[in-house]
Amino acid sequence: MRALTVNRAYAAFRRTAAAQLRHPQSALGTVLVAFFLILALFGRQLAPHPNPNDQSHDARVAPTLDLGALQLGEHPFGTDRLGRDVYSRVILGAGSIFRIAGLGTLISVMLGSALGLFMGYQGGWVDEVIGRVIDALLAIPALLLALVLIGIIRNLDFAAGSWQAALADNVILLVISVLYIPVVARVARSTTLDIKTREFVEAAEIRGESQFYIIFREILPSVIPSLVVEASLRFSYAIFLVASLGFLGFGARPPSPDWGLMVNENRGGFYQLTPWALEFPALAIAVLVIAVNLMSDGIRRAVQKGA
Amino acid sequence: MTASQHNLLDVDKLTISYQVNNRWIAAVRDFRLELQRGQIVGLVGESGSGKSTVALALMRYLSSNGRVERGSKLTFDGEDLLRKSNAEMRRLWAKRIKFVPQNAAAALNPSIKIGRQVTEALQAADGLESHDAYQSMMRIFHDVNLVDPERVAERYPHGLSGGMQQRITIAMALISNPELLIMDEPTTGLDVTTEAVILDLVRGLIAERETSVVYITHNLGVVAQLCQRVVVLYAGEIMEEAKVAELFQQPRHPYTLGLLSSVPKPGQSKGTAQLQSIAGNPPSLSRIPSGCVFAERCPFVVDICREEKPPLETLTDGRSVRCHRWQEITPTLNPSPIKREGLLSNNTPLPSLWGKGPGDGGGATLMRVTDVKKYFPVERNLREVLGRVEPTPIRAVDGVDLQLRAGQTLGLVGESGSGKTTLARVIIGLEERSGGKLELLGMDVRNSVRERSHDVLSKLQMVFQNPQNSLNPYLSVRQALRRPLIKLRGFSPAQADAEALALLERVNLRAEYADRYPDELSGGEKQRVAIARAFASDPDLIICDEPVSALDVSVQSAVLNLLAELQEDHGSAYLFISHNLSVVGYLADAIAVMYLGQLFEVGEAHELFHPPYHPYTEALVSAIPVVDPAHRTERILLSDDLPSAQNLPSGCRFHTRCPHKIGAICADEEPPWRAGEAGHLIRCHIPLEELSTLQRTLVLSDKAD
Repeated sequence: MRALTVNRAYAAFRRTAAAQLRHPQSALGTVLVAFFLILALFGRQLAPHPNPNDQSHDARVAPTLDLGALQLGEHPFGTDRLGRDVYSRVILGAGSIFRIAGLGTLISVMLGSALGLFMGYQGGWVDEVIGRVIDALLAIPALLLALVLIGIIRNLDFAAGSWQAALADNVILLVISVLYIPVVARVARSTTLDIKTREFVEAAEIRGESQFYIIFREILPSVIPSLVVEASLRFSYAIFLVASLGFLGFGARPPSPDWGLMVNENRGGFYQLTPWALEFPALAIAVLVIAVNLMSDGIRRAVQKGA
Repeated sequence: MTASQHNLLDVDKLTISYQVNNRWIAAVRDFRLELQRGQIVGLVGESGSGKSTVALALMRYLSSNGRVERGSKLTFDGEDLLRKSNAEMRRLWAKRIKFVPQNAAAALNPSIKIGRQVTEALQAADGLESHDAYQSMMRIFHDVNLVDPERVAERYPHGLSGGMQQRITIAMALISNPELLIMDEPTTGLDVTTEAVILDLVRGLIAERETSVVYITHNLGVVAQLCQRVVVLYAGEIMEEAKVAELFQQPRHPYTLGLLSSVPKPGQSKGTAQLQSIAGNPPSLSRIPSGCVFAERCPFVVDICREEKPPLETLTDGRSVRCHRWQEITPTLNPSPIKREGLLSNNTPLPSLWGKGPGDGGGATLMRVTDVKKYFPVERNLREVLGRVEPTPIRAVDGVDLQLRAGQTLGLVGESGSGKTTLARVIIGLEERSGGKLELLGMDVRNSVRERSHDVLSKLQMVFQNPQNSLNPYLSVRQALRRPLIKLRGFSPAQADAEALALLERVNLRAEYADRYPDELSGGEKQRVAIARAFASDPDLIICDEPVSALDVSVQSAVLNLLAELQEDHGSAYLFISHNLSVVGYLADAIAVMYLGQLFEVGEAHELFHPPYHPYTEALVSAIPVVDPAHRTERILLSDDLPSAQNLPSGCRFHTRCPHKIGAICADEEPPWRAGEAGHLIRCHIPLEELSTLQRTLVLSDKAD
């Protein structure tokens, strides 16, 4: 039986893969996301300078990348004003963005879908109350809410080693969750509202199944396809958010190789001196966000077809 | 020859393909049809037989992934339709060829008033000025018997009932007196009473206008009552073509034979005969067998059937059949001489499963329903909020008393909106009742499933209408069957696995089905699994809410037989809800007739087809399209408007539509229950003796044996 389930999962995966390949854009997106994922996982092995803060004596070296001759050179993306290798910093930056955006997405999808399933199945005043809170949260501009939350939490004084301090250290994760749990919950809720009227759910009610069983065994599997689509979409927004917060100085702190932060550090007067130190991390953000979007388009098509 | 000049429509070697996943699949192969002026030809087939595809191709209106293959011939009034440009086709559609769709609600634009939609069509067809168009719209509305046409014209489609919407689409199709009318299951979504009205209307209109009609349906009864010729389609090929009378008296193709004998005829019941059914499923269109397409399911199959495709042989004028063995197939339908094990089995009478009516105390009372009510609250509008007025709730079920007896089937019939499904959901506990009492074997049954004891839960089960949704697509058949065994009967997982296989066997599915998922099952197989699941807890009462209405005719009878067999083995009682009176009449021991939330007649099933009946029952019975062209009932036609359950008629709720209304008393006083023989109860102001003289026996039961 387990083998069967695995087989079905594999069949679903193959269907998704086939659908991705049928549309070159989404195939390209998937390949690019995979490429960035490799950078994120093996950044230390791939970067010429595993320490992002290695300083060469030659600051402000122009990029040595030669696309015509297919040569990287010593500093493919040049060095910044402090002599750090931009190429290595971009590669190493992939790790942190995938970690924060990925983990944040995972948390929001898990909690958000549990919340949405519960609301949708329960209905009545529970749904009404939680629904209004969600509406209120969604009414506040995302970035504003993020900045306020970060501002408050960072200014609180916590004893080192306490859980509050741990939370404050991961405040970006918290922000992503607060912002995206409501969005995911809405999606899960609306699908649940549709599924719960199906007769198989009523059949489960008739045999006296617990709410927990009905929500997770009977309804959840049918909600998963739309959750997968939503998760991929949330991931692309999370990347954008992490980069934005880095740029605004609310994310990672200097000198960490965060893409958003790198864009921020090298703008203004520095842009005249070392334009490449801004352009390459900015390009990385743009390419990754577009790639994730293309991929999620493909996933959505596959899921809609398979339904 | 001159014959072809006389034919309005001449179709030959018509092959239609659809592109699916980059492959062209021939959905209809070698179709032919000759239609003379003023003729009505029925196109019969099950889902997937290609009948709608033919309809669209005749109109040259296939979707973009469909095409008519080379070599096909399609002429309309001597003109080759396949060579026409789109602009020429549009002119034909506007004036000479019209289409009536199945789903009238979807065919009408929801945001344009009826009057404007119809006048627009008139202006396009006849180039009329808007004033003239309005006048001729009124004439057409009058022709289709629309009450109050001026008001109807001012309304939006959602403000009309399904029957009225279908009249509008028919009215629009009759604009400019088309020569060819293609009707694609125009009455399938409607109640029997409304269906009867629409069929009468169509018959009358066509006789007046000499319009030719291609009438597509899966309902053989409708064909028998309406058409002159029939074409039977199966898996995209013509199986048989004949005049209606010939086809019903002497079908020559095993498939036609199977179809005809799988429909329960009024008066036929589980006690007298098992229904015949066609085993198996239609072939997949992407893997059409090289031999006869019906060979897999045919009871008369021999080797040649699998090897060689039979030709469509012409027997006599207008009669052809595609079968190698048609000469050997010469049955009369009732009783059937075909004695073939397992398939078209003979009519062995089952031992009588009941003997006592609902009123005379025979059989132990299993469930007692006392004065059960279900009101749905209505949102208050602003005036009601300000005036602190409680709005009238929707009284879906309004005081129903019923007794269900152990091991018996109670059929519950009524039009849609009569409250029969709500009553079922109240009994099973999916809806909380607003009042009344439920007792199961003397135990008080609580309001909703969540409050009910384990004992009550395991004794009450349900089979749902739509097999598509009644199984979880992500759970295998084994998982679906295991759960109630573990949950309600306390089996260990190992025991449950063994029992799940036993259950599958009981519903005639092989053990290998245990590992399949619902998307790998056909509709009939899904419903069998759903039935097995309902029987898993060994219940005393199973509520069957239209369990066969979503299934094809050939599959329906097998499921009905299964339900009858299982009842005999388990002694479970059924509350069987259906709008199809023939089906209820076949399976039920007792019948309750429901109208606007109340019961109006309760009695033994075989009484259903004999007077006296309640005037409403009479109308329902007379509306059944009987599968016998020789049989003409005098229809008692009801206006198609069921009053709103929020604003119920005073006195007798049926008085607004009653053909036997006797006067003010009907509108003022609630009618009394009158007792007839053997526990037969009728709620009417007219005494039963008088009713008997007013009414005639509408359908004779089993005249042949």
